[in-house]
Amino acid sequence: MDGFGGTTLRIDLATGNIRKTATDPALAREWMGARGFVSKILYDEVPRDADPLGPDNRFIVAPGVLTGSFSPVGSKIGFGCISPATNGHADSSMGGHLGPELKYAGYDLIVFKNIAPEPQYLYIDDDTVELRPAGHYWGMGSLDLEKRMKDDLGKDFQIATIGPSGENGIVFSCITHDFGRQAGRCGVGAVMGSKKIKAIAVRGSKGLKARDLPSLTKLTYDIIQRTKTHPNMAPWQKYGTAYFVGWSNERGCFPTRNFQQTYFEDWKGIDGEKLVEECLISDKACFGCWINCGKYSKAKVPGKPDKYVEGPEYETIALIGGSCAFKSIHEVAYANNLLDNVGMDTMSGGSTVAFAMECYQRGIITKDDLEGHELRWGNIDDFEHVIDMIVHRRGIGDALAHGTKGAAEKIGKGTIHFASQAKGMEFSGYDTRWYPAQLLSYCTCDIGAHHSKSWAITADIELGRDTIEGKAAVVIYLQHLRPLFDTWSCCRLFWGEIDVSPEEHVDAINYLTGWDATLEECFKMSEKIWNQNRCHYIERNGGPGRKFDIAPGRHLTEPVPDGPAEGKLVGSENFEKMLDDYYANRGWDVEGNPTREILELLGIGYAADNLEKVGFLGKPIEGGVPAVRGRKLKPMAM
Amino acid sequence: MIIYLRSGGKLKDRLKPDVDQYTRRIEVEGDKPLRDILNEVGVPDSLVAFAFINGKLERLEYRPVDGDVITLQPPVSGG
Repeated sequence: MDGFGGTTLRIDLATGNIRKTATDPALAREWMGARGFVSKILYDEVPRDADPLGPDNRFIVAPGVLTGSFSPVGSKIGFGCISPATNGHADSSMGGHLGPELKYAGYDLIVFKNIAPEPQYLYIDDDTVELRPAGHYWGMGSLDLEKRMKDDLGKDFQIATIGPSGENGIVFSCITHDFGRQAGRCGVGAVMGSKKIKAIAVRGSKGLKARDLPSLTKLTYDIIQRTKTHPNMAPWQKYGTAYFVGWSNERGCFPTRNFQQTYFEDWKGIDGEKLVEECLISDKACFGCWINCGKYSKAKVPGKPDKYVEGPEYETIALIGGSCAFKSIHEVAYANNLLDNVGMDTMSGGSTVAFAMECYQRGIITKDDLEGHELRWGNIDDFEHVIDMIVHRRGIGDALAHGTKGAAEKIGKGTIHFASQAKGMEFSGYDTRWYPAQLLSYCTCDIGAHHSKSWAITADIELGRDTIEGKAAVVIYLQHLRPLFDTWSCCRLFWGEIDVSPEEHVDAINYLTGWDATLEECFKMSEKIWNQNRCHYIERNGGPGRKFDIAPGRHLTEPVPDGPAEGKLVGSENFEKMLDDYYANRGWDVEGNPTREILELLGIGYAADNLEKVGFLGKPIEGGVPAVRGRKLKPMAM
Repeated sequence: MIIYLRSGGKLKDRLKPDVDQYTRRIEVEGDKPLRDILNEVGVPDSLVAFAFINGKLERLEYRPVDGDVITLQPPVSGG
């Protein structure tokens, strides 16, 4: 099968049985890999009452159709499971080199089930696939272990690891690879840890067969030549994502002190300019990439050992830097390294500490809860201590290990009001009180609040931040377009930043595989995945769907207190109107339940049958399903 | 004085390049910040993250000098 490795691995961790089968060409053509594979397998195989950290959950490793191709840039790999944070579909991806290596070893999909009796790691060296003991690695930090395994196995192995956080089931644990690339969101690291899989080590030498190599090569060559002279290439290379801090702050959407404010007065100390001036060692690239937007940096914090880290990226700076109120990029980089090594998502991890800091500010958490320590804004010692309490689940750390929603439910005292999350996953690094489309994006997202599935900040600016008019349709369009890159498993930034079009990605897929895919068909597939994930969520959690599309209290009732967005608030009434508009535009009923008509139109009538069985199939909507769901808009900046 | 503004993507549509596919030549009257110049030529300053001049980041308060070639960098999120 051109463009694919050809083999699927099914691994039963209870018995140690490893079964190799040919990758199903029909599955590949219909779902295209990564997020698509994850959605289908989770929907078909995981019992609806399965505990996310129990044996019946699946842990899925899946590159996508473009993984391993140079065009334009297939560096990514997806990880999937039922999320312990949201109790719904989870897919989280990372760049680096693991995905291409896995396909070059011949594998398109790995599905783990059950739980290993002892810690193990998966060893793949082309045709050799083994579960090997990992008791001697258990307890090690993610970054430390990757280095150790490179020493033990060879530097040409690509390695993904979890840290103590994943071992201990913290719901925002990540998977780390390439000393700083993470599948960060949804708690995929916690599920990997629950299976007692400490690491995956891969070496592949088989390469990948393309159906039409000359055309694929020419397409890639032309894109490289064109983008090398693109004006936005050089600034992107130099500053990566971190430059975005100043802009976000000036726009009044930079999370500050756990989203109490949206403008950070000390932003210049943690901006990308400061990162490049004071911390940068070298640029760093994922597989096949000529942009090198990764920043390999050194953190120097007085009284602490120097630390090396990839980043910090914008999201980390926002949710550790602004949200925990650190004034120095060195402190943010130090905290970034700390979370990378314990194996926590810096976004949800940063947000959870910020939430705890606000609890401390309000006297809800005290020194008695913190083993005698304080938890002050911008204090790196306090930050480090509470992270240690979370990782090892000591005292209040055990509550915080559940993320902001879970912690708020345990702590009580009205703290859910300032838990900035949707469906149990923390907001990305953008406040939404002046950004209605982004608020809607977070609260309707199929994996919980995450910008990568719909980043609508610039759409809000372009269409007007003080209006909700037309926002729902644009959000739907973005929710179909942006996740396509996760399904194809290639970097979105070529599209967002330097004008590589989605159509060119589809051309690359066809040259690679010999398929006759169209962009229109890919959009329909993306919409199918979105609807399937929605049905799965309702089947697992009960309905109606609307009851889960909830915005946090602060974001509906507290006007921004100061800064450029002072006084701004979307408000409950507007939010509910946007939800009505969103459901109608999706072909769902007013309760947020997908209808049989839309599900059959998308080719997943089986999901309608299942929704009907649990009593939450959407009622037919007046006028039927819209012929086009979503409104095409490429904002001026992405 | 004459300056040159450059950008790709949809910002380019507002910029209306006239020198090459990315570049517009602008005649600027007086000494003023880049933010004002952008608004005068119809490029929303709210959608420009920073300016890139001679290999260095500049904010929109930067006051251009004759002959400057200024790349307008849009915000972007989530690779």
